[in-house]
Amino acid sequence: MLELLNLEKIFGNFTAVNRINLKINKGELFGFLGPNGAGKTTTIKMIAGLLSPSFGNIHLDGIDIWLKPIESKMKIGYIPDQPFLYDKLTGKEFLFFSGGLYNLSKERIKNKIAELSEQLKIGDWIDKRSEEYSQGMRQRIVIASAFLHEPELLIVDEPMIGLDPQSAFDVKKILTEKAKNGTTIFMSTHSLNVVEEICTHVGIINKGNIIFNNTIEVLHNLKRENNNNLEEFFIQLTNEE
Amino acid sequence: MKQILHILKFKIIAFLRFDTKFTFNSIIKSFGSSLIYIAFAAGGYFFVQRLFYFLLVEIKIGLFLLHEFISMILFIFFISVNIGNIIVSYSTLYKSNEINFFLTKPILPARIFAIKFLDNFFYSSSTLIMMLFSLLAGYVVYFKLSFEAFLLLVLGFVPLIFSAASLGVIILLLVIRLASQYGIKKIIYGLISLYFLIIVFFFNLNSPKMLVTTVLRYYPFVSKDFYLGDLIPPLIKFLPNNWFAQSAYWLVRGDISFSLAYLFLQIVLSLFLFSVAIYLGHRWYFKTWLLNAKLSADFVSRRKENKSFFNLENKSFLKLQSESIVKRDLLMFIREPSQYIHFFVLLFLIGVFIFSVAGIKFVGLGNYNLQTMIYLSLFLFNLLFISTLSLRFIFPLISLEGLAFWKMKSSPVQNNFFLKSKIVIFSSFILLIALSLSFFSNYKFGIVLTVFSAFITLLAAMTIISINFGMGGLYTNFKEKNAIRLSSSQGASLSFLINIVYMLFIVIVLYKPLSGLFLSIMIKRPFDLITFYWSLIPIAIPSFILIITFLKLAANSIKKDF
Repeated sequence: MLELLNLEKIFGNFTAVNRINLKINKGELFGFLGPNGAGKTTTIKMIAGLLSPSFGNIHLDGIDIWLKPIESKMKIGYIPDQPFLYDKLTGKEFLFFSGGLYNLSKERIKNKIAELSEQLKIGDWIDKRSEEYSQGMRQRIVIASAFLHEPELLIVDEPMIGLDPQSAFDVKKILTEKAKNGTTIFMSTHSLNVVEEICTHVGIINKGNIIFNNTIEVLHNLKRENNNNLEEFFIQLTNEE
Repeated sequence: MKQILHILKFKIIAFLRFDTKFTFNSIIKSFGSSLIYIAFAAGGYFFVQRLFYFLLVEIKIGLFLLHEFISMILFIFFISVNIGNIIVSYSTLYKSNEINFFLTKPILPARIFAIKFLDNFFYSSSTLIMMLFSLLAGYVVYFKLSFEAFLLLVLGFVPLIFSAASLGVIILLLVIRLASQYGIKKIIYGLISLYFLIIVFFFNLNSPKMLVTTVLRYYPFVSKDFYLGDLIPPLIKFLPNNWFAQSAYWLVRGDISFSLAYLFLQIVLSLFLFSVAIYLGHRWYFKTWLLNAKLSADFVSRRKENKSFFNLENKSFLKLQSESIVKRDLLMFIREPSQYIHFFVLLFLIGVFIFSVAGIKFVGLGNYNLQTMIYLSLFLFNLLFISTLSLRFIFPLISLEGLAFWKMKSSPVQNNFFLKSKIVIFSSFILLIALSLSFFSNYKFGIVLTVFSAFITLLAAMTIISINFGMGGLYTNFKEKNAIRLSSSQGASLSFLINIVYMLFIVIVLYKPLSGLFLSIMIKRPFDLITFYWSLIPIAIPSFILIITFLKLAANSIKKDF
């Protein structure tokens, strides 16, 4: 489904992502872990089309997403770490705007908004301008906008930031359901608990290099070998580099 | 004071570091910018001299009338700076994140007020002051004045801008206080009406037509440079724009004591208004900040989103992607007061201009040179309006995508399609206005010139729009939400300078064929229209090159990493 081949991003003389290789299959919920500044967001932005790779390729279903961006973006839903919206638009208008960009019919957007309002509990303030929203409200609108066109690949950057426990629970539930229904999810997060709870596969990036890439079961085994403490294992792993 | 200097020091460091990465692109950009600044400075310098030569030597209006015209232009300038400062100060003093940051620190609100006021003034006025230097240099050289005279003129002009800015911030503080008692809408509408009344009253009291007629009655009997101060309405004599003009007049006449007296008044007024602004800021700033927060919250809680014409839920004839982009831009425009208010103010000014030129009788008959100059002056005015509209509404278009641009960038929309959808509505408005301006300022000149002007105005408008769009892309600042600040940024100033150079180029190219046409009309000689229309080619080729270059610049800008 998604393949990163020798992917590299260099800013000036700083290598943010160092020729990484990853393969994520259909229906996998891939947790992308790493300390601050490790290269998680840079990788995600390259997949989403916001940053151009300095080297390497990103393939989605065998198609290079930087060679056929439009075709690829139709299949991708992106949830950024900072949920910036247009202040003067209401949540609903933003969703109609987003749907239009994917050429969805008005009817389909309308139905989808009704469904997502229920799931994400956004119905009460969807008609207010987003300048009035809290971080959590913005985050939920952004999540809804990524689900509108039912993407095959969902790229999520730190989805739990700003969400209260109930919303975080709801989002985790939705992501798990989506993965079960065949959506591939590439999710970056700082939260080891979230990874343990919902991911099927895990990758750890540190200083631009992939230092761990395996299934959640393997991670659980390693955790057991490390006194059942995933946090200690993570710190040990990232400090070894 | 130490705290203010400390903050200003870091603001200056941040400002200087903004564009000092020594990459190939940044060096080319800086080199290009410097070239344009130099070209503009030189252009302004020579333009003033040429204009004064024309007014004083060719049509002999005399020193007194010249300075009265300068005074009138400065009045409009004063009002523009003043209104601009009210709008910019509102967003920087009451809405910016920087203020929220400062207010959580142990800094007196009055100091925050002073810092932001000075920050606004220098940020928005740096280009103005730069332009002013070249214009004043042209003025000084034309009249063969000394370097000291140049310094005196600068010393008179900077306080004039400072007075306009200080008055702007005083009005802003008053508006917020009054709005908390009488409601924001009433006060805003009242203020807009007041400005309209002031402009109408000024030109009623100080009508250029009436002044020229009255002055001409004296001219056979007195020297054209004679001071006819009695003709200046008493109220006008109390205005700072007039003080500057008077100071300059007496400087040219060599009476330094009169000149210094007006300069003194200018500086005193500026210090007085600044002191009042600082005093009111000290007393009211934090109160008004809280009041504004309350007013905004009340306003938001009462606001109901009306289902407007641009409702994204309604179907339209546009393609789905286009519709999304166009409706979003229009919705954001009609919901941003600083956008639509400024647009209507400019439309009003254009309306006044159209009304004035539509009524102008064809003066200067019998002097083809004068006819050419009148024609080109009107043409230049039209282009200036188009340039102002483009700078204000086209230049910020890409930057106004803001930090939410991630949505566009990660969506399946072709870059060129996105740009087309973005520019089409606003440029259509501007092209329509350009055509109206062209028609109303030309129909008195006959069908040949009306059609010719329509062509050339459209071509020039498209070029100016492209320049501003491209420059807006080159100088994209997604973090700045305020369109006015964007259109008074360094990139916008450069864009304006390129517009000016382009406009002057057109005027220079048109001078010969137009004067030929007017000469033919005057001596009733048949005129070869084909040759006349051929004169469009030297304008068309560079225009098309500029259009393509700047549109490519805009296209490249959105390909950059986000």
